[in-house]
Amino acid sequence: MASVDMIAETTREAASDETARAEAKTPPLRVLVCLSASARGPDADHGGKSLAGLMEDVATRLRSDRPNSQLMVAFPAYDTSAVETQENRGYKTVPYVAAGETRTVWMHSAEDFRRASTLMKQNDCSCCVLLGAEAHSIVPDTISAMIHMVIESGCDLAVPRYLIDPDEGVFNSAMLYPLSRSLFGSEVRTPLALDIAMSARMVERMGTATARIPAGSQATSILWPVAEAAVAGYSMGEVIAGRREEPISPDLDLKAALALVAGSLFSDIETKAAYWQRNRPAPLQMCSGEDVRTSGDTLAEFSMDEHDADPLIDSFRLAYGNLHEIWSLVLPPNSLLGLKKLSLMPTESFRMSDALWVRIVYDFALAHRLRTLNRGHLLGALTPLYLAWVASYILQCRNAEDAKRCMDALAAAFEADKPYLVSRWRWPDRFNP
Amino acid sequence: MFSQIRIALTGSLERVLTKLATFLPGVMALLLAVILLTLVGAGLAWIVKRLLTRIRFDERVGLENSAGVSDWSPGHSPTLLATRIVFWACVTLGVAVGISAFDAAYDGKADISAFLLPYIAHSIGSIVLLLAGTVVARFLARSVLIGAVNAKLQYARGLSVGVKWLVLVFTGAMVLNNLRIGGMVVDLAFGILFGGIVLTMALAVGLGSRDIVARSLDRSVSDLNPGSTERTVAARNSEEKPRVLRHF
Repeated sequence: MASVDMIAETTREAASDETARAEAKTPPLRVLVCLSASARGPDADHGGKSLAGLMEDVATRLRSDRPNSQLMVAFPAYDTSAVETQENRGYKTVPYVAAGETRTVWMHSAEDFRRASTLMKQNDCSCCVLLGAEAHSIVPDTISAMIHMVIESGCDLAVPRYLIDPDEGVFNSAMLYPLSRSLFGSEVRTPLALDIAMSARMVERMGTATARIPAGSQATSILWPVAEAAVAGYSMGEVIAGRREEPISPDLDLKAALALVAGSLFSDIETKAAYWQRNRPAPLQMCSGEDVRTSGDTLAEFSMDEHDADPLIDSFRLAYGNLHEIWSLVLPPNSLLGLKKLSLMPTESFRMSDALWVRIVYDFALAHRLRTLNRGHLLGALTPLYLAWVASYILQCRNAEDAKRCMDALAAAFEADKPYLVSRWRWPDRFNP
Repeated sequence: MFSQIRIALTGSLERVLTKLATFLPGVMALLLAVILLTLVGAGLAWIVKRLLTRIRFDERVGLENSAGVSDWSPGHSPTLLATRIVFWACVTLGVAVGISAFDAAYDGKADISAFLLPYIAHSIGSIVLLLAGTVVARFLARSVLIGAVNAKLQYARGLSVGVKWLVLVFTGAMVLNNLRIGGMVVDLAFGILFGGIVLTMALAVGLGSRDIVARSLDRSVSDLNPGSTERTVAARNSEEKPRVLRHF
């Protein structure tokens, strides 16, 4: 019996030696986590939390799944010569030169993707995670699940679907998600995600996309990874996550923020026109993601009530009286009639139909391409129409269930009216209902 | 006496016809120069248009300069702008050559070209000023209108019209000054008109709607708060949590 035990012990030792030799031969799996340019560094204190603790946790989980892996954390430093690359607490820190404060602090700019692409190549990484501002509030499970999707499931793009209350991310519900779903077939809820995990080829693709943007504009230009992945035929998926602290941009008012995001989206749509005009685009490869919510993650109720829509409706009525001539350059007579009826509606029954909002968005996207008027003016003229939609949304959606139903109905309306956009895009002078 | 009248009339008719005969070749030379160079200009414009269309000039300019040439160009097409510049440059050259030819063919003593050519240059400059001023006036008026509407100012349209007329009056004064028409009268009239418009707008905005301006400024300050992407609605009572709508 003793000899049998010895044989078993010898066999186990041989197996572990074999594994150790195999791991020593295979190159280490490197995962790069890029912190936002507005981050203060891994050790900075954010009300008792620090990014260092979060990164340590993520590194530990990564090593438990894959012992032969290494986490690298890239953080902004204004003078990289004064900061050395360190390896401590289970991950390696890599400083990069911050481009200075940018206006797009709550979303990733082309500069962020270009930097990620450069760092990926320099450090031979297999996966890159871009974290937006206020990343200290992210639960480690979320980041681990995103990395797992990219490395284990072979997903090219993984984004978290955070728990968003009905009165948050309203512009995403109004335009970004429905347009992304209608034109690119993507079910990803936040096309302009704060946190993104990408495979090496996805990062390379995004790096190539930044080449289209002049160097001076990269810090303030937005890229759309979901659309890029769809056009390239890459796979994407979502991790169902809990809450995250949303960053705040102090320098932009609503008009400027809307002009920045909507203008970038319309330009991206124009660039990818050949893809979304296909009759039967190839179906998107969607990866199934983990659900890392905890029992405490629940949706809050809608905090706005009917009276909160009053200033928005007044703003729309003022705009209707003053901007009608400008809108008539962009919108066809049907839409103008719809807006006229809307301006005459009493506050209690103020409702912008999904069909009207869809036509407005599509016509503005077309006008952006045709340069019917100056693009700054065009996007400025869109703001009151968006506020009218928000007023209608507040009055229609009284709870979280209503908000979800409204969002899905709107996305379906965008999909149903896509032929209108295709027709007008191809024949802008001939087809004008 | 009748014979003397007849001689006088015949003599003056002869002189006029002689003058006309010497004048006509100059006019023909002027017309010929203008027509020829107009045709050359049309041909060059066609070549330039084909070339720029082939290299997708409009798309390249639009991609790299979204808020520049494409927005100012006629029909939002930099190609069209370039072809029109080429065409009208050739026409202008034709007029200049024609005037020199007229001067040479007519009578060396008058030296009409020394008088006409600078005036034509000033006229062309004035036309360019007028066009630029009109475009700038429309652009600024629209910018002010959209900005004022988004800032919820009730007098947005008045402000926009005021800005437009300010720029147009300024442009008109510059054009007349460039053409040397009116002299001091134009300068004084411009000063009075421009100052009057500015004073009127200042009184209307400052005195007539100071409450509205104060409310608008208060709203603008609260909208520019951190979370400028948020709309914070004041709670109805101190115990109620402030309600926030986040657009992004």
